[in-house]
Amino acid sequence: MSVVLADRLQFAFTVMFHYLFPITTMGLAPFVAFYTLKAQRGDADAAKAAAFWTKIFAVNFAVGVVTGIPMEFQFGTNWARFSAASGSVIGQPLAMEGIYAFFLESIFLGVLLYGKDRVAPALHGVSGVCVWLGSWLSGFFITATDAWMQHPVGYAVGADGRIELTSLFAVLTSPFAWWQYVHVLAGAMVAGGFVVAGIGAYYVLSRREDALARRFVQSGTIVALVFSMLAIFPTGDRNSANVTQYQPVKLAAMEGLFASTNGAPLAIIGMPDVHARTILDPVFVPDILSFLAYGNFNANVKGLNAYATELWPPVELTYYAYHVMVGLGTIFVSIAGVAVLWMWRKRLFEARWVLWLLLLAMPFPYIANEAGWVTTEVGRQPWIIYGLMKTAHAASPTVVTGETIFTLLGFAGMYFMLGVLFLYLTLREIGLGPSASALAHGAELPA
Amino acid sequence: MSVAAFIVIAFMLATYVVLDGYDLGVAAIVPFVARSDREREGAMRAIGPFWNGNEVWLIAAGGALFALFPQAYASAFSGFYLPLIIVLWLLMGRGIAMELRGHFPSEIWHTFWDTCFAISSALLILLFGVALGNLLHGLPLDPHGYFVGTFARLLNPYALVVGVFAVAALGLHGAVFLVMRTNGPLTERARALAVRLWYIVLLWYALASVLSVVEHGVRLSWISAIPLLTLVTFVWLLVEIRRGGERRAFAASSLWLLSLMLQAAGTLFPYLLPSLTPSIPGISIYDAAPSPAALASALTVSIVGLIAVVIYGTLVTRHLAGKLSVGE
Repeated sequence: MSVVLADRLQFAFTVMFHYLFPITTMGLAPFVAFYTLKAQRGDADAAKAAAFWTKIFAVNFAVGVVTGIPMEFQFGTNWARFSAASGSVIGQPLAMEGIYAFFLESIFLGVLLYGKDRVAPALHGVSGVCVWLGSWLSGFFITATDAWMQHPVGYAVGADGRIELTSLFAVLTSPFAWWQYVHVLAGAMVAGGFVVAGIGAYYVLSRREDALARRFVQSGTIVALVFSMLAIFPTGDRNSANVTQYQPVKLAAMEGLFASTNGAPLAIIGMPDVHARTILDPVFVPDILSFLAYGNFNANVKGLNAYATELWPPVELTYYAYHVMVGLGTIFVSIAGVAVLWMWRKRLFEARWVLWLLLLAMPFPYIANEAGWVTTEVGRQPWIIYGLMKTAHAASPTVVTGETIFTLLGFAGMYFMLGVLFLYLTLREIGLGPSASALAHGAELPA
Repeated sequence: MSVAAFIVIAFMLATYVVLDGYDLGVAAIVPFVARSDREREGAMRAIGPFWNGNEVWLIAAGGALFALFPQAYASAFSGFYLPLIIVLWLLMGRGIAMELRGHFPSEIWHTFWDTCFAISSALLILLFGVALGNLLHGLPLDPHGYFVGTFARLLNPYALVVGVFAVAALGLHGAVFLVMRTNGPLTERARALAVRLWYIVLLWYALASVLSVVEHGVRLSWISAIPLLTLVTFVWLLVEIRRGGERRAFAASSLWLLSLMLQAAGTLFPYLLPSLTPSIPGISIYDAAPSPAALASALTVSIVGLIAVVIYGTLVTRHLAGKLSVGE
């Protein structure tokens, strides 16, 4: 195995595992802030909800932090040539994430967890909002970093080949970054909505927590519906437009389009056969791809054949990841839509099948979020910085395959253990429920 | 401007040592001062609201190093591949032990997590000390500034002496913090341990100083004034521990650590990665910095952000400060 492949496997594994937790913290943070503020105004049920979701949030946050540190370090440990060449640019949003977002999030989470009886109620209420702000800011800086690797702006290449930042403002305000960021947020909020609704549905189905469980279902499904629609339009649509404009090879791989076509069809399903350069057993919708990409049913969409194979991303993975994301995204709108419709008809809590649907839907937003990132990152290959630097030239010169495999195995072992612990703890907290965590929360405070 | 960037990094790392230093130190001494599950939990609660924010100083310093000195970040992190990944694993073990302990109801789990927490924290301090020792000692670098030694090469006697010194010093710092923060039998044991550690640190500091002189010879410069500050704050620390001035003792201990870090920074300057071989110059702040425009931008955002963090961090921390009663 080449060292670059080992480095890529390690990065992919650690980042995909890590990302499960920020999805949850970004998606739950608004709920935590909302219930904490409500509790401040004397809403007793909201106080239970705040204690419960803060606990779930805290476990996710802890695992997110410890699995996030290796991400920042890996740029240096495994991708030293990339870091040396581009650190002047990407170091900045990463440093800003630490300074502007992590401090905010962790200092105020301390207040949220330990300060209930020690600080003024107003500060405790505000701390929920600060944690929310911190988690969303952190998401912004990371997405801005990634967006720069997708579509570099605000830089100049020096005589020594180093990429130097010329405008931080351009990096942070790049439309590519902002559309990507709001899409990421929409994805996280879909997950947050489905988690709150799903856990609420679990309590309603098991006849526990009464009114509070219903509140979870109601607020969760509305959030899930709104954001699953926003994930498709405008955020998903605008991202596709950016990919079409700046990364046409990636678009072709996402859609499994080999031959350039006027009035290109959209493959809903089908399996790409890269050797034969065709799609097997496809179901096509005629002309739609041209319309989605260019707003014109007859537009010419360039296929993979128009590019040298060295510039192709891994076609199968990009294609499937993209289709999984889009397919699930459509299903989320339907599930949340049905639930909201039944809620509007005031029959939601009698319709056990809808509640079951909500309960079982919980894991899928995570799959969709991960699939979205796989599309973005695998689709960016063979570049590490689009058009500027190839992934093959980015790895550390001093690290050998054996070292990376060793550490990859170490990470795999640790993360497996961490995953088991996380599931055990989360299931236990859900089993105990909001009423119990309100009591336990009080007992945990410093005397 | 490179000098300003060096000061920013040094400031962040020194703050990290003072802040995360006390919670690492508390973790390392818990097995020696806490005798029951409740006392161990009390020690955890003492650092609970703060440790995560403290650790962010390290993460943010890593980010700032990336932005301000990309070349040094790339060489150092890839050069010390294995030790750094081990540091990551230890940070993970420690963070998980701290955060998840309270979620488990059984004492068996508590014992497991407490042991995990103490061992990973103590090893972290040792590794940080060894890293600092190696930096002060100089490193085998290739002409491109990449580390060319082995892991075993990093565990040389001088670095190990600094590593053990770090464990004792932060243990002392942690004990002083526990005395300030808690009330109960635990507090008295921490106070007694602090005095014992003070003498151990003194002996070890003498040994490390002799070794430094042997290694480097005496270089007289403005940094020679700092050991004086170190000595004054160190004596003040013992006086305050004896007199029961708990907050002042913690202040003394923090100043003492700051003076040690200042000394280390002064010794390194202007190098980030000093070379052991005279023919290879090592990576200085001038080699590793990006273009002036990029450096100016990174400095501005770092300094503005850090000022904000220091202000709200101090305000919020004051609200959470104060004594905790820890029963037996």
